[in-house]
Amino acid sequence: MGTFDYLMHGFETALTWYNILFAFVGVLIGTAVGVLPGIGPMSGVALLIPVTASITGGLPPEQAATSAIILLAGVYYGAMYGGSTTSILLNTPGESSSVVTTLDGYQMAKKGRAGSALSISAIGSFVGGIVTLIAMIALAQPLSTIAIKFGPAEYFSLMLLGLAAVSGLAGKSVTKALIMTVCGLLIGTIGIDNVSGIARFTFDIPWLYQGVEFLTIAVGLFALGEVLKTILEKEEDDGEIAKIKNLIPSKEEFKESAGPIARGSLLGFFVGILPGAGATLASFFSYLMEKRISKKPWKFGTGAIAGVAGPETANNAASGGAMIPLLTLGIPGSGTTAILMGALMMYNVQPGPLLFEDHPQVAWGLIASMFIGNLMLLILNLPLVKVFAKIIETPKKYLIPIIIAISIFGVYAVQVSTYDLLLLLGCGVLGYFLSKNDYPIAPLVLGLVLGPMIENNMRRALTISDGDYSLFFTRPLSLTFLIITALWLLIPVLLKKRGKDVVINIEG
Amino acid sequence: MDVKFDRFASVAFLAVGVLFMIGSRKLASSSYGSSVGPDIFPFVLGLVLAVLSIRLFYEAFRGKVQESGKEKLQYKPFFIILLSTLIYILTLETIGYVITTFLFLFVCFQTMERNKWVTSLIISAGFSGIIYYLFVNVLKGTLPGWPIWFS
Repeated sequence: MGTFDYLMHGFETALTWYNILFAFVGVLIGTAVGVLPGIGPMSGVALLIPVTASITGGLPPEQAATSAIILLAGVYYGAMYGGSTTSILLNTPGESSSVVTTLDGYQMAKKGRAGSALSISAIGSFVGGIVTLIAMIALAQPLSTIAIKFGPAEYFSLMLLGLAAVSGLAGKSVTKALIMTVCGLLIGTIGIDNVSGIARFTFDIPWLYQGVEFLTIAVGLFALGEVLKTILEKEEDDGEIAKIKNLIPSKEEFKESAGPIARGSLLGFFVGILPGAGATLASFFSYLMEKRISKKPWKFGTGAIAGVAGPETANNAASGGAMIPLLTLGIPGSGTTAILMGALMMYNVQPGPLLFEDHPQVAWGLIASMFIGNLMLLILNLPLVKVFAKIIETPKKYLIPIIIAISIFGVYAVQVSTYDLLLLLGCGVLGYFLSKNDYPIAPLVLGLVLGPMIENNMRRALTISDGDYSLFFTRPLSLTFLIITALWLLIPVLLKKRGKDVVINIEG
Repeated sequence: MDVKFDRFASVAFLAVGVLFMIGSRKLASSSYGSSVGPDIFPFVLGLVLAVLSIRLFYEAFRGKVQESGKEKLQYKPFFIILLSTLIYILTLETIGYVITTFLFLFVCFQTMERNKWVTSLIISAGFSGIIYYLFVNVLKGTLPGWPIWFS
């Protein structure tokens, strides 16, 4: 079967009534997550994993995994659309990748052009999403064929590279990011070792035998941590919501944004594939690029439509691009994809080169549903943007306790254990303190997800070589990955020493 | 950013690293056969964590204490909500989902803003009731329903 047949089967899966519903609910919640300041895509996805797990409980395992991941991915790219709404209308970005959109978007809104800014960003997001999907379809098969030839040594080195890439760019201090990564890896070692079968660091507590649950940690650190932060640091509501007048951009505005959208799609896609460089970086780069090549650079910051179209396209393209290494190599390139990977693994679906062979329904169903979801978002966002803008007015007093209640319900529904709830609360408090003091959380979750796989591959490789560590350096591909890993970690440090500003990825 | 927190954290991380190293040494004696046992990975990680935390301590020591204007933190609602969450978790299995969730939400709504108690009542009752009904009756999931003496 060729790629086309697989894709058609994917559409068959994605077009069943309940998967359409899942995609719809996903993008709808995603848009809300993007619009609501305070919950980002990471906490939104983490919060919904247990909820989807309980909804899909009645389906056969393969279908449950497909439907769940369709919904969760919908939340992920839906948030990228929604994030622009608050940036433009309120000057407050809903999530970090929409920060640059505030620069020109809010200025446009002030001048009464909020409608065109919103519709151009929706159109740009759509184009960006579709371009990366096509690229993903083209790349999926060849990449998996290469990756399938990897031995354990190559995998070990590649995963180290993935870890280093995400932690090397996340947060303000590389040391802190690395500490968080190592902590995640260490938490991953708790439980029964599945090679030798002995209990590690469990202190004879039966609850710890199956290891610390990824779900509990992710929901606690992200969702609960952010909620606690909002309670403690109560912000005064500021600014007025700009009025939306005319939704259809003028011909001139279309002309001005066509170029930025095309460039943003490509740029976002390539930045997205790079592990560690997330949507935030992509939108930032796109803005800089548009400003540099513009004939009227002085217009930027005063309401140039190119400054909205480019970054908004790029951040959506990047979030699609980040799915490629996740699905084909099994290496999440960002915090949100790490959480998606954890969700897949909860369903016993291992992302990676074998995914397309072992679970074609999951992989192609997801890809096809992303086409449908992007279309839904475009349709939803153009006429309904006024409705979504209303979500901003949701009073925090109701929102915050309900988020806590949902996270407790979700974790309990899946784990059925009070210990997990206590751990959840602990992680929430910890998450608040860590992120307040610039300890990035995404690397920790990534370490937790990748840890067991890294260890298994390392031990398999060492068993083959009979304990000879030089194996990792003598195999050329493995050595290449290790060299890139070292450079990735060292170059930012060296640049900083020279006093250069290092671009930092907030999303992680 | 708080340098004091970093100093404290670096010591804590150092302790965690060292404890993992000690812990994995103990594992070594109980595994046999393979030259790469279950102890190596956590031992190396513990070592790396220890080294990194020393580096963090050094960075925090050199770091200038930034006197950023202390933001006003809302401690009172924070601790009330934290405490009610804890009570919620601990009583969930004995008193049941519907009652605990209702009380928890009502207390939190009122803590966040003390007015409109009728709306708070309706939303908290609606949320706990609907979630319980959907999850237990429609999706056939398990949640502790009502306290034993109630049914």
